[in-house]
Amino acid sequence: MRELLSWQDKTSWRPDFEQLVEEHQSMVFSLAWRMTGDRGLAEELAQDVLLELDRNLRKLSSAEHARFWLRQVTLHRVADALRRRRTNAASLGADLWEELEERHVLVEPFGLEDESPLGRRIEELLATLPEGQRAALVLRYQEDLTPEEIAVTLKSPLATVKSQLQRGLKLLRLRASQSLKEYVRGA
Amino acid sequence: MEHNDVGNEKEMAEFERKLRIAMQHRAAPVGMKQRVMARARERRQVRHGRGWMLQRIAASALLAAVFGGVAVYHQVQERAEERRKGEEAREQVMTAFRITQKTLDRVQERLDDDSRVKFQIYNR
Repeated sequence: MRELLSWQDKTSWRPDFEQLVEEHQSMVFSLAWRMTGDRGLAEELAQDVLLELDRNLRKLSSAEHARFWLRQVTLHRVADALRRRRTNAASLGADLWEELEERHVLVEPFGLEDESPLGRRIEELLATLPEGQRAALVLRYQEDLTPEEIAVTLKSPLATVKSQLQRGLKLLRLRASQSLKEYVRGA
Repeated sequence: MEHNDVGNEKEMAEFERKLRIAMQHRAAPVGMKQRVMARARERRQVRHGRGWMLQRIAASALLAAVFGGVAVYHQVQERAEERRKGEEAREQVMTAFRITQKTLDRVQERLDDDSRVKFQIYNR
C-alpha cells in the first residue's frame, strides 16, 4: 500500500506521451477486452483512455502513478460502457442482444495458434462472470496485483476483493472445464 | 477427505498457473498507437486553434478597453479644461464688477463732496 502511494513524493518525472502509449497500450487494450469480451469495443475504449492520459499527463507524478491511473480509468470506462450496453440490451430486447453478442464472439480472433485452449477462449469465459469478479481476476492474473493493490485500484474493501477472487476463480474454473470439454467435443 | 482437499488445492494451483499464462497481455491492434497519436495531434491542434482564437479575442478586448479608456480620459480632461476656463471667465467678470463698483463709489463720493461744498456756499 505504501509503495502504491509513494508516487506522490516523486516530482521530477518527465512523461513522454508516445512512449507511455507504446508501453501501456497492450495493457489497457487487454484489460478492456477481458472486461468487455468485445474486441472492437475494447479498442475504442483503449483509444479513449489513452487520449484521456494525454489530457491528464500533467497531473501524473511518476510511471507507477501513470500505470495505476490507466488501470483505474480503463475500469471506469469499461463499467460505463457495460452499463450503456445493458441499457441498450434492455431497450432492444435481451434476446436480440445476446444473439448479436454470440455472433460477435464467434468471429473474434482467439490469438496465436500455439496458445492453450484456455488462452484462446479466456476473454469469452471471463465475459460470463459477474463484473466485480471479472475485474478482480483480471487485475490479479493479468496485472499480477496483490489483493491489497486490487482493493486500492477498485476502491473496494479488502475482504470483498478476496471473496470476489475466490468465487471468481472457482466459477471460472467450472466454466472453463464445461466450455473446454465442449470445445474439444466440438473439434 | 484430506487427500481430496490436497488434490483440489493442487488442481486449483495448476489452474491458477495456467490462468496466469493464458492472461498475458494481448498485443494491441495493429496501428492503434498511430491512431491514438493522430487523434491526440488533432485534439492539440484544435486546442491550439481555440487558444489562438481566445488570445485574439482577449487582445481585441484589451485594445478596445485601452482605446475606450483613452477616449474617456480625453473627455474628462476636456470637461475639466472647460470648467477651468469657465471659472477663469467668472473670476474676470467678478473682477470687472469689483472695479466698476469701486469707480462708481468714487464718483458717488465726488458728487457728495460737490453737493456739500455747494450747500456751504449757499448757507453763507
